[in-house]
Amino acid sequence: MDILLQQIINGLSLGSVYALIAVGYSLVYSVLMFSNFAHGGFLVIGGYICYFALNSMGTGILIAGFLSLLGAGVAAVVTEKVAYQPIRENTNNTLYLLIASMGMSIVIENIFVVTIGGRFRALPAIIPTQPVHLFGLATTSAFDLISLLAAGVFLGILQIILVKTKWGLAIRAAAYNLRIAGLMGVNVNLLISITFFIAGTLAAVGGIFLAVRYTLYPQLGAITIKAFVAAVIGGLGSLPGAVVGSIILGLAEMLTAGFISSQLRDLVVFFFLVITLLVRPQGLFGKNISEKV
Amino acid sequence: MNIPKPILEIKNLQVSYGTIKALKGVSLYIEEGEIVSVIGSNGAGKSTLMQTIMGMIPRDSGEIFLKDEPLARRSYQVINQGITLTPEGRQVFAPLTVYENLMIGAFSRKDRNKIEEDLNWVFSLFPILKERYKQFAGTLSGGEQQMLAIARSLMSRPKVLLLDEPSLGLAPILIKIIFKELKRINAEGVTILLVEQNARQALKLSNRGYVLQTGEIILQGDSQELLANPDVEAAYLGTLRKRL
Repeated sequence: MDILLQQIINGLSLGSVYALIAVGYSLVYSVLMFSNFAHGGFLVIGGYICYFALNSMGTGILIAGFLSLLGAGVAAVVTEKVAYQPIRENTNNTLYLLIASMGMSIVIENIFVVTIGGRFRALPAIIPTQPVHLFGLATTSAFDLISLLAAGVFLGILQIILVKTKWGLAIRAAAYNLRIAGLMGVNVNLLISITFFIAGTLAAVGGIFLAVRYTLYPQLGAITIKAFVAAVIGGLGSLPGAVVGSIILGLAEMLTAGFISSQLRDLVVFFFLVITLLVRPQGLFGKNISEKV
Repeated sequence: MNIPKPILEIKNLQVSYGTIKALKGVSLYIEEGEIVSVIGSNGAGKSTLMQTIMGMIPRDSGEIFLKDEPLARRSYQVINQGITLTPEGRQVFAPLTVYENLMIGAFSRKDRNKIEEDLNWVFSLFPILKERYKQFAGTLSGGEQQMLAIARSLMSRPKVLLLDEPSLGLAPILIKIIFKELKRINAEGVTILLVEQNARQALKLSNRGYVLQTGEIILQGDSQELLANPDVEAAYLGTLRKRL
């Protein structure tokens, strides 16, 4: 029983990190209607900024985290300006954006391989990992609880931005129809930059927690594929869907690892993807709204 | 005599999609306080004209002036200058509430404290929106969506309101209601440029009209004259009336 509870907490913790990545990814998808494969690059950038801020600059975790979020957000905006905006302005075909994002993903990964090398780096022990006893029912690590809490806080902030602010409303409108949002007086390029900045910062939060969990290396961004699967399961472009899909995946992975075999965890992830695509291709929260004509 | 100055003036506007010329040198003007209609059949370039004014489509050549100032080329700047478009097919934000749709319409405004006032204004024009303001826009009927689309445009407090086919797909009774409200909106100081296939309704509402055919203005004049013009009657109004 306590093992089950423990694995559930582990699963929620892992799922919450996926959610941070999947939500940013889904946000970009909902506005621009393409899968941004460079999203994994943003989390690697965030991870490395945090690593170097802690190790070379000797800052505390709060400052390192702040720099990491800011840096990844700016990197995401720059990626959009350099690689996507010229394409957006010349064609409506999002396939070109998809291909450009694959290119940018390779570029970002190799910038790290070339400049600082491909070796694995462990972040200093910035996040406590000592065991925590939960009311005598189960034992889990503080790290899992902190990552769950951090993800909740950041997703909560995002929700407040989307619901309470003027630009949040504009992003929700643009997610339905970017062109018409432009007709409302929204500066579309600025809106897209803001969206990428948000996606970049969320990816950086995920990147820091993943780096602590798995160590940091240039290919760490490949884990975005799981966030991508989570977003598809939840329904591409739907933010609640991305969160629910991520939690499902995190739980499935950890329960498989705990009770069956840890080698099967990835198999389960993709099994869920296949089942979703077969049974409910639009995902759990997929938009299939039929508008009255 | 005091000759009113045009609030919006378009000079020799040319637009093309690839090699296809959609607008072949369109010139027109609208005086302050007028309702002007542009009528024409499918593919005449009516929507292209509207979208070009709004900066959604780049122009090849030609100039557009708003009160003698050259009009900006990006949509959000055009809206800041005081022109707004109610697009063809309504295009309300279905997953947002009626209230949120109206607030996004007011996005460009700096005078946040006056928004409440204008909200009451559009609710007085279209009371049904007040009843439904918490509902998702996608659940409204076609006529209600058109009202919402117009109200949303008005929330930016435009000097000039562009309307692209407001009668599209609506029952005659609803068209009547909406056109009546357009008259009222105009009376409250909003200049209107209306683009319609429903030529009779549009000409009845407007002061002046232009006839657009395959990218060119082929006729213009007072709406009453156009309504009486036998060519316009044959081409755009239908001749059923003559049988009576």
